[in-house]
Amino acid sequence: MADLTPVAAWTEEDVRHLGRRAGFGLSPAEAAGLATQPPAAAVDAWVDGTGIDRALYDEVLASRADPVTEPQRNAASGVAGAVTVPAVPGPHRYLVDGGEAWRNDLARGQASWAFRMQYSPHAFAERMALFWHNLFATGHDKVNNVALMLGQVELLRLHGLDRFDDLHAAVSKDPAMCIWLDSVLNNARGSSVPNENYAREALELYSLGADNGYNQQDITELARALSGWSFTVSAAQLVSNPANPPQKVASGGNFRVYDGSTNPDVATWNLQTRATLPSMHGSGMATFLGRTFDLEAAPPPGMAKGEDVLRSIASSRAPQCAQFLARRLATHFVTADFTAADLADLASLVEAQSFDLRAVMKALLKSRWFHDPANRFALAEGPVSWVVRAARSLGMTLAQADGASPRGFPAWALVVSPYLDLAGMKLLDPSGPNGWKEDRAWLNSNTMRYRTKLAAALALGETATSQGVTHVLFPTSVADWFPAASPAPATPQDVFDRLAALIQPAPIAAGVRDAWLAGLWPGAFAWDASAATQNKVRQLAYEMLCSPAAQLY
Amino acid sequence: MITRRRFLQGAGAAGAAALGAQACGGMRGGLGAPPIARPAAPILVVVDVDGGNDWLNVLPPTSGPNRIAYDTLRPTLGLPASGLADLGSGVGMNPDFGAMVDLYTRGRLALVTGVGMKSPNLSHFVSIDYWGQGAASPDGTGWLGRLADQAFSPTGDVLRGLTVTSDLPVMLRGSSRSFVSITGASGYVYPSPLRSSGRLGAPWDSTLLETAFGVAVGSAAPDPASAAGYAAGALAGKMFLDAQNGFGVDGALPARTPSVLYPGDAGYPLTRLNGGALSTGLANQLKLVARMIAADIPAQIYFTRMGGFDTHANQAVDHPNLLRALGGAVNSFYDDLAGVSTSQGNAQDRVVVMAWSEFGRRVRENNGGTDHGTAGLSFFVGRAVKGGLYGAYPDLTDLDNGNMRFTTDFRSLYATVLERWLGRTAAETDAILGAAYPRLDFLAA
Repeated sequence: MADLTPVAAWTEEDVRHLGRRAGFGLSPAEAAGLATQPPAAAVDAWVDGTGIDRALYDEVLASRADPVTEPQRNAASGVAGAVTVPAVPGPHRYLVDGGEAWRNDLARGQASWAFRMQYSPHAFAERMALFWHNLFATGHDKVNNVALMLGQVELLRLHGLDRFDDLHAAVSKDPAMCIWLDSVLNNARGSSVPNENYAREALELYSLGADNGYNQQDITELARALSGWSFTVSAAQLVSNPANPPQKVASGGNFRVYDGSTNPDVATWNLQTRATLPSMHGSGMATFLGRTFDLEAAPPPGMAKGEDVLRSIASSRAPQCAQFLARRLATHFVTADFTAADLADLASLVEAQSFDLRAVMKALLKSRWFHDPANRFALAEGPVSWVVRAARSLGMTLAQADGASPRGFPAWALVVSPYLDLAGMKLLDPSGPNGWKEDRAWLNSNTMRYRTKLAAALALGETATSQGVTHVLFPTSVADWFPAASPAPATPQDVFDRLAALIQPAPIAAGVRDAWLAGLWPGAFAWDASAATQNKVRQLAYEMLCSPAAQLY
Repeated sequence: MITRRRFLQGAGAAGAAALGAQACGGMRGGLGAPPIARPAAPILVVVDVDGGNDWLNVLPPTSGPNRIAYDTLRPTLGLPASGLADLGSGVGMNPDFGAMVDLYTRGRLALVTGVGMKSPNLSHFVSIDYWGQGAASPDGTGWLGRLADQAFSPTGDVLRGLTVTSDLPVMLRGSSRSFVSITGASGYVYPSPLRSSGRLGAPWDSTLLETAFGVAVGSAAPDPASAAGYAAGALAGKMFLDAQNGFGVDGALPARTPSVLYPGDAGYPLTRLNGGALSTGLANQLKLVARMIAADIPAQIYFTRMGGFDTHANQAVDHPNLLRALGGAVNSFYDDLAGVSTSQGNAQDRVVVMAWSEFGRRVRENNGGTDHGTAGLSFFVGRAVKGGLYGAYPDLTDLDNGNMRFTTDFRSLYATVLERWLGRTAAETDAILGAAYPRLDFLAA
């Protein structure tokens, strides 16, 4: 039984748990502040993002987020009109979307999102986007367009708390998704055999789960209903590489059903100039999940052709869809060791809230089940949120970083690739549409190895040189970890406790703690600002980040 | 070692036709030189052909009712029989499988067609899960993981099973044992900085830090809520720590230059259809495996993976490119091992490659591609392999809802490998798989 009734009161421990699971951690001061507020109102504000000052974040994001210089791009030889594109000195924004989409640099796209996760004042929106990115897993390897990938993330950010059927339909129309699972090539006109790729995963991976209320015939019929789903590109969305003008890339796209109608934009999805869209949408009747639809009838108002078929999943198979969502939400936010009864309770909540994800998440994050101490640190954390949370807890605040000289933003562009991949999660580029297995599947010898390497960068002040400039990968200051306003540590255990309050590992056995502290401070303890003391503190932070306890959240 | 001329002959369509002339007349086993006996220290290299390989376009039918059905259902993607290397029995090999044609005529390639399971699920993920578990009654562990449970030392044998993928596939998951994952040849060491290999130096105390990590991964959680997660992290960390010095000084394998070219290397004779270099993913993994074998890493099992076979669209371009990279990488690896001496004998004598894919694809093509299907192709390469065609070719005129009916249970492959290659007794083999599955004769009893 999952007790989904709301908690009436909470502690700082509860608040920190909320911060870890539904954000990327809270500082000790933030946790203390939130704990004084009533849980219901605080969770509502956490989910809705109300009462947040976004001004500095928006300003930094627009003009100076990436401290790593973009190198000069030399003109391609033999291409008429090609020009050399000068280097872009840092700091600047990430140069992967809008008019800069031609750069199409996955690492900078990953860095751009990591930066947002680290500094967004509405961390929950980024956490939900990361959750949905794992569920609607779409990969740059095939889409080959970072602007479209980030466009999908923005969709998840903006609509991740809509009704599930709305979100499912929106993702199905998303340009990156249309490329990823071949919707753009799904032609069911006349005797053409439809491409089942998207229809299968729309059921198996994105709404119901394998073998959960549908059969092969339903897949084929859904593929026919969604045939022709694609997008067009407007003149404003079409971007040329200034160093190689014939090379164009779409910085965005507009959903269309390719049904022989006039193209309102200048280009098709694959950037061909066509005044008329190809005719790919299927005809006749489709029987899907026991209901019959006329593919040639005018769709219901506000819907595209075939959309009513897709949307019928959540109504025709409501219990299965709710169960599917419950399983994923439980595994990501609460525990992977749920019982069948827990799952049924959460699924009932999803159905009772009519698949309204905002209402579901608010109820879940207020619930006694979520806050049960038995679920605290019961999940292994994925490597992206792990490294983001560590960067938040040990790095500078946005205002501090923006005011520092040089600016104190992490050099995410030098961290993300290939190290997130090697740590087990290649952000924006999963190897398949099933995303990544969560919880303890995150942990193996290789991913632990790369977590310890990331820990070195996070705790030990590692530097790297790019374009002649040496960057601290994660700018940190031991003085910030031990503010002057707080009492100076009197014992090694005070140092440990302070770092544990920042890093928030799962409980660490006293024997482990004592062995670490005895190793670092074998003699008398004295707190001072010397490099020797600071290096001991950094090594303790490193030991903590590498420990099995710090992989849990 | 194979000569360049012979290689090209094997790869080209003209060469393939010439080989077909030699090969026709029913090649069910007994090709080329006789297989060698099982070596004292056998090594299994698993190749996961990920995405569902459209093997009907690797080994198309060349004659009879199957050919008629193939022509009907593959009007644009079907390959003309005239361009195939004739393997006999009404089966031909796609010349884009390149060097594998040559390996076949040398008698070192066994092809098992129609491999599958009852009540096949057309999902990649469910199918991969079943293939990985490989049990009569799946329980979440993998068949090679259960081999490790049964055969590996509970406290040692850290490097006996390795994957060169960054994940830990379900196939390798045991109830008490796990496989080490290694994706690079240098810097397998703790503590180490992010962006460079080697051990952390001053001002950091690497000895102290390594001791501290050992204490943490040798411990348990003090509270029940985090106990299972802590144990999982501790196991992973301990395997990393225990394995690190097995990979040479400061975690760096000795350098090695492959003795042959691999797909994607400059000068490799095959390219993509458009002239570009072939993908190097599997080639790099197999180079790393060869390097580990040459370094006498005591591994008995290596796991590799090549993705991209989910050819729903653009198959006429993508699939040939994939086959060239797959066939080329496996053949280069086999040839590369010929000159490698290990403490347990010649490396080529010690290795069998086992390639599998989660399913074959739909017989009827869609618009430019093929959708998910059922029965698949597995193949085995090695000096101990008795080359030829195994399993029955599915009847393309008797489809089940458009899909092939399987003819060989996938667990028969595992039973054969466990008993006839990895040296488990019949009883041990059946215990790992949960039932007795028929053994196939591509390996000698």
